[in-house]
This record gives sequence, structure tokens and C-alpha cells, in this order.
Amino acid sequence: MPPALRYFLSFADVIKAINMEVLDYDVVVLGSGIAGFKAALHAAEKTKGQRICIISKLHAMRSHSVSAEGGISGVLSPEEGKDSEDSHAFDTIKGSDYLADQDAVELLVSRAPGEIRHLEHLGVPWNRTVHGEIEERPFGGMSTPRTAFAADKTGFFMMRALYDYVSGVEGIDIFHEYYATSIVIEKGTFGGICAFRISDGEEFFFRGRSGIIATGGFSRAYGFTTTAHSSTGDGTALAFEAGLALKDMEFVQYHPTALVPSGILISEAARGEGAYLINANGERFMSRYAKERMELAPRDIISRAIMTELNEGRGFPSDRYGYAYVGLDLRHIDMEKLSKKLPMIMEMSKRMIKLDPGSEPIPVRPGTHFTMGGVHTDIDGNALYSDGRQVAGLWAVGECGCVSVHGANRLGSNSLSQCAVWGRIAGEKASEHAAKSSFHSRSHPEEILERESGRIGKLRDSSGSKNPYEIRSAMQKVMDSNFFVFKTVKGMEEGVSKLLEIKKEFSDIYVTDKGKKFNTNLVNIFEIGNLLELAHASAELALRRRESRGSHFVMEYRERDDAEWLKHSIISKRGARHEISYLPVRITRWKPQPRVY
Amino acid sequence: MNASRYMILLYASMLGVPLLFAIMSVSALLRLGTVYYISEMAAAAGLFVYAVMGFVEAFSHSGGGMRIPKSAMSAEIRTNGIKNSITPAGPGERPVTVNLGRFGSGRIEFRKHGVMANKFTTVLDALLSIKEGEDNSLSVRYSCRMGICGSCGMVINGKPALACETGLIDACRGGTVSVEPMQVHPPVKDLVTDFSGFMKDHRKIIPELYRKDAEEQQRAEHIYRQSQDELLEYLPFSYCIMCGLCMDACPVVNSNQGFIGPQALSQAERYHKDSRDQMGSKRLGLVDSLDGVWGCEFAGACSEVCPKGVDPAAAIQSMKMELLGLDWDNDGEKGKI
Repeated sequence: MPPALRYFLSFADVIKAINMEVLDYDVVVLGSGIAGFKAALHAAEKTKGQRICIISKLHAMRSHSVSAEGGISGVLSPEEGKDSEDSHAFDTIKGSDYLADQDAVELLVSRAPGEIRHLEHLGVPWNRTVHGEIEERPFGGMSTPRTAFAADKTGFFMMRALYDYVSGVEGIDIFHEYYATSIVIEKGTFGGICAFRISDGEEFFFRGRSGIIATGGFSRAYGFTTTAHSSTGDGTALAFEAGLALKDMEFVQYHPTALVPSGILISEAARGEGAYLINANGERFMSRYAKERMELAPRDIISRAIMTELNEGRGFPSDRYGYAYVGLDLRHIDMEKLSKKLPMIMEMSKRMIKLDPGSEPIPVRPGTHFTMGGVHTDIDGNALYSDGRQVAGLWAVGECGCVSVHGANRLGSNSLSQCAVWGRIAGEKASEHAAKSSFHSRSHPEEILERESGRIGKLRDSSGSKNPYEIRSAMQKVMDSNFFVFKTVKGMEEGVSKLLEIKKEFSDIYVTDKGKKFNTNLVNIFEIGNLLELAHASAELALRRRESRGSHFVMEYRERDDAEWLKHSIISKRGARHEISYLPVRITRWKPQPRVY
Repeated sequence: MNASRYMILLYASMLGVPLLFAIMSVSALLRLGTVYYISEMAAAAGLFVYAVMGFVEAFSHSGGGMRIPKSAMSAEIRTNGIKNSITPAGPGERPVTVNLGRFGSGRIEFRKHGVMANKFTTVLDALLSIKEGEDNSLSVRYSCRMGICGSCGMVINGKPALACETGLIDACRGGTVSVEPMQVHPPVKDLVTDFSGFMKDHRKIIPELYRKDAEEQQRAEHIYRQSQDELLEYLPFSYCIMCGLCMDACPVVNSNQGFIGPQALSQAERYHKDSRDQMGSKRLGLVDSLDGVWGCEFAGACSEVCPKGVDPAAAIQSMKMELLGLDWDNDGEKGKI
């Protein structure tokens, strides 16, 4: 390009920067999973006439919630006397290894049934009983069947119903494929969200009276994971960057049954419907780890059992799939039941690894699945600073927020109910807040956009020596080996220092795609940066927690230590430094007990 | 089959079959039973020929698929050395060439890339390996990699398919797999296409349950009961992941911009058949037009490529039948809204 032309183009960029778009909304929702859609919907219903937007880095209907398989928990018919909200609450708290805030759990279990009925009214094709009621299936750690389901595609069906309904609601605008680069918070008040349109790189400032972050978890910090490529914890990282606190980041759930070699999720519903876990000797080994609950023990316990089997050489050898594994055996289950209740895992086994679960056990091993930690919030999902001050007008819900109902280990099917319950709560609160607030953006939005544009441009111009994707692989390798099911103090120390090195290397990356048109190279680099920040925070907190609780198991400290560690970890950023503090767990009715299944 | 014969048959069926359907509709309206049955037979015969042609094309591995050959668009073919290895390294790895068609500067340019693959490697794995190792600037949509988010629709060996569900070695033809963007959705960059029109078409059928008890729908105090049989009526059509493959395969969508296409139509049937929906015949009225169900020529390509077994073709024919039936019930009065 001739220098004169290049000069002219850069001049044109400056002109464009001044004209960047500012869009005003009463409620700005970042993220389009189940929590995001629910939040937008209930904000719109709370106050008619408000303008609400949903910003998604994907086509909104493709968010990772579609991958949820097994079901959504909630006590649908307490009047029959077989189940109660108290029982659901106790199971959840015991499952959390007593780290859940019990007032939040009580809120979850009381609201969940209503949310299941609401989703039914929006069109979810639930499996039904012979009486036409919503059927519920057994699930890990739940003492009785209380998980409503639509085959093994529950999340997908919920997403389709919500997308179809929400995209028709007046006042809600959906922005597909916009990537958020910062959350603007000034003097403790939410101001808006900066995002660029992926299709052409155009930058926008979504100025809002209220904001809701619903961007999901960060399991892609790991390499062997059940989650979508898009689960990169963007909103959590942006909140961290904006000075908010994160909570319980060391608690990462490893799902016991990820398909080898890809890591695709094989739903816990398989075990809910009666599948066995067997080792290479054909033994149902869970009898040695959870005598009573067997395959329906909570996920942390089963993952440790499987890893123990593999470490002690009782797994199937790695020559077939590249990984050692155990078998998920469905052969004794009636084929008709399988096709009605587990069609997707049947289909996926056949398609992905050409294996018929009717004649051979499915090869599985634990893979990273869910991040219990996230943005520190109060019981309404309102985002907090580390000292407990609220950020006015900002909520964080779904997997990206940590209201703390899952504590140290989430029970299967509690995540969908959490998304639905706190999606609604935050949506309504955000709408109320917007109705009585004015736009808060002290600095001119043009200045915010100009600053942002400069930052993005600078990143796009990076011409260092490192391939960003190799940096991501290096991070995933550290997380997979040093922060997995069994951790050691030495391994974690080594991991933290490796992550620091990797972060340093990340400042020396090159960006190949210098264009503005659908630049996924640039999007990926933002995502990798976000993952690195969150992986680092998670590792720091894991290293400090000298006990074993729920998903966090340290070889040197194998017991839960309630005297010292019955508390939430809080981490926030002060410049480049991490500040760590601890917060007591809110206990209402259930005192910590030994956790036996 | 050579391209010119293909085109003649394509156009013949595109003109003939709708004409026959039009005769069917008119004769149905006028209660001309004999004319109706003759035209129905003729239409069925035409569709049969069309379907056979489609199967021949689809399985002939000519690279053309059920579409106009695009080899003319290929401008530059270069071969790179084999250097990408897909992780995790599994047993039985072997080299495969990906002939990758990327959209840029107004046309699709093909270029060959060597990758290492085992029997578990998917086309998406191969594309990501090229993107992450060889050329970071490659643009491709993807997310769940388990066939449920609907992001990675593209044309693989001439046939619309999901990259994450297509085994690379399975798709190999003589050591090569060709990959290019879908054709009917406007191209944006590389393998990425514009879905805004697709989403607008989806909205046209009002894809949501219509209820007369709007207040209960929000309060949700009681469930709407539904029997297993009622569930099975609409369940097969509710698996749609909105990946857009059926639209790309449909010969009518490729020639008539106004036709709302198999995706939206299958979803009209999904909500129409749901016992909880109370829109009744008005929902069918939404699609009772030449750009709706009557635009369909029953090529069946939509159902053939649907990765989730939705069968839009069956949905559309079922609505056609019901519309014809409704006409008899309602004394020829249509429920268009």
C-alpha cells in the first residue's frame, strides 16, 4: 500500500472513531444462554415500554446452554408427599460440601418448580408421565427423582423455546455476533458495555441504566472439557478487569463421563436411567466408593473414583482412543427406553466414535464441565466488590455469577434451575432499577469508545513472535495436569508459576488477521486473554485452600477442614496484583455433617 | 450426470411440478375429483423422477451434489506440505488433504491443506487445526462441536453438512475432502455466511405457542397437560437446530428469493402440531401461499441433509394436505390472517 493511501486510511479510521455508535437501552443483557434470555424476558415483562437488548458473541440461539442434556431440578408435586423443597435444599447443600449459602439454596428450591412450569408454557417438549404431567428422573446426589427433562436435550429445547419466544417480545433487541470488550463502571455504578460487531468490526457503546452479565463459565481454560469452544468466561473476566470481585474460583467441576477422545458430554441422565460404570475387569467399581448411591453419587465423588481406577491400572487401555477410560454400560437397559429418554447420547456414540451403546460400553473419563465460581454477588445476583459494596445497576447470573448455590460441587440439573431462577430475579430487579435511574456515564461515551477503539486497534496490530493458539494450548495443558481431579501442593505451585510465564508470553503474540471483516482471530485473542486471567485467579485460590472440599481435592490435605476453611474465597484485582480475602458461608438450618453417600 | 442434462431436468421439474400442484389446488377448490387425482398422479411421477435424480447426484461423488457445479469459481489451487497434527493424537493417523474454498474478494478461492487425521477426527477438527497452525485468519463459525448448536453448517464434498458431525476420513474421496461455504446464505468471509435473512424468515411463522390464557402463560401456576401421543405429534419437528443446511439444499430457495423455505415451514408445523398451541388454522394460513407451503416442489433435499432428522419435506406435505382438507371443511373459505 502506498504511504499516502495508508495515511488516508488511518485518517479515515479516526473520523470513524468519532462517529462510533452509542446505543441507549434501559437494560443491557450480555450473553444469550438460558439466564440471559430469562433476564431479558422478565425485564420486559416487569416494566412495559422499556428497551432491552441482548448482546451475544454467537447467533443468540447457539449459546452453550444448548449443550445441557440431563434436565432441570425442581420439586413439581410436593403434595404427593414423596418429595419436598427441604429435601431438595438439603441434597443441594450436602452436594455442595456445605459451601453453598443456604439462604440462596432455599430461594432456588422454592422458585425452581415455577420456572419449570413457565418453560412448559413457552413450549418445551418435556417428557410426560402417563397422566400427561411432566416426568422427573433420578439424578446424582438427588435423594429422589426430581429432574424434569426433555429427552437428553433439555438445554437445547429450553433454548429454542426461549429464543423463539423472546425474539418476538416487543422492546427486546437481539444483537447477534457482537463481541464485548469491556464493562464500563464509573464510581461504583454501571454505565454500559463496549462491544464490536464481528461481521465488520464496527464498535458500539451499549449505554444502559442497568446491566446483566450472563456469559457462562470458563471451562475452556482446560483442554479436555465437555463445554463448547465458546465457554471462555468473557463476562467474568471483564467484571474482574473492571475491579469487581470473583468468588470460589478454585471450585471447578469435572464431569465423570466425558466421551473419549473428544470430551463431548455423556449425560448423567444415562446413570439416572440405570447405566453402570465398569472398569476393565467388568467390575461396578462404584461399590467401593459410594456404597449406597453407587453411580448416582455426586460428580466430584465419581470423578475421583474413576481417576483412582485409571491411576491404579484398572481402566481400559489407551491404545484404542488415545486415552485410558472406564466403560459406561447401557447394555442391560431396554432399547425403547434408551431411544425415548437418551436419544442424543445414542446418536453421538454412533456418529462420533462408531460405537453402539446397545452392544458395547461407552468409553468415558472425567472432563472439565462447570465452574462453580464466578462474579461475587449477593442473593439477588447483584454484583459486588470485595468489601461487599454493591455495584449499582449490575447483576451477574447463571454460570458466570456466584450467588453460591453450588458451593464446592454442583449437583447435576441444579444449573438449569439456577439459570432460570436468577435470570428472572435479575431481570426484574434490573428493570426496576432502570425505571428509577438515569443514564450514568460521567465521561462522554465518545471518549469511552475512542479509548476502546485504540485498545482494540493496538491489539489487532500486534506483531510479536508467539502464536496465540499455542499459548492457549500451553495454558490448557497446565490446567489439565496441575489443577484437575487430584491436586498436589507442588503441582499447584508449579502450575501458578507456569501460568505467570504463559501470561508474560501472551504480551508477545502476533495477530495474523488485520482485517475487520469477521475477524475471529481477534475474537479468539480476547477470549484467550480472558481465559488466562480466570485460570490464573482459579489457580491462585486453589493453591491457597489447604483442605479438600467438593471438587477441590488436595493430596496433602485429604479432609474437609470446617474450622479453618468453611468460607468463600474472594479475589479481586488491584492493578496487576491479586487481592485475596475470605467470607463466611451463610448457614441457616443445616449444620455441616460428614458427607457420606 | 452432466451439467446441461441436470439443468434441463431441474428446470422442467421446477416449472412442471408447481403447475401440477396449482391444477391440484384449483381442482380441489372446484371439487373436480378426477382432474385432481390425475394431476396428483402426474405430480407424484414428476417428483419421483426429481427425487431419483437427486439421489443419483448425491451419491455420484462428482463433487457437484444437488447443486450447480462451482468448479468455475475456483481460481487458485496450491498445495502445502503436511504439517498439522490434530490433537489428541490418536491411533491410526494418516494424511488427508482438505481442499478448502474460502470466500474473499467476491469469489471463492480453493487451496489445498494437508492435515493428519485419525478415524475420530472431524472436519471441524481439521479446519481448526488449519486455523490454529497454518493460517490464524481463517474464519469459521463453530461452538458446541457436538451437533447441537447449529453453527458449523458448510458444504462438504458438495453436500451441505455440519462440520463437527462429519468424520474427515469418512468424507475422504481419494484422500481429499472439499469444504466450502454454503451457497444460499450470502457469503461474508471464508466459510462464514450471513444468517440475517434466515432468521427473519424463521420469525414469519410466529414461532411461539399462541395461548388464549396469556396471564396463566406468564404466571405458570398449573401445567398444560400433554399425553405421550400428543408429544409425539410435534416432537420430530422440534429437533431443528437452525443450522440452515436445509435451506442450502433446497432447489426452490436457491431460485426463488421469496420462498420462506423448509426451515421456517417445518417450524410452522412444529408449533401447529403442538396440542398446547391455540392459534389453530390461522397458523396454517400464515404459510398458505406460493412463498409458503405451495412454493415447495417436494424435492426432498431438505430432509435428506437435515442432520437432526427433522424431515421438513414431510412437514410441508402434511400442511398442504391439511390445508386442502380445511378447504373442504370450511366450504372453501381459507383461514388466512
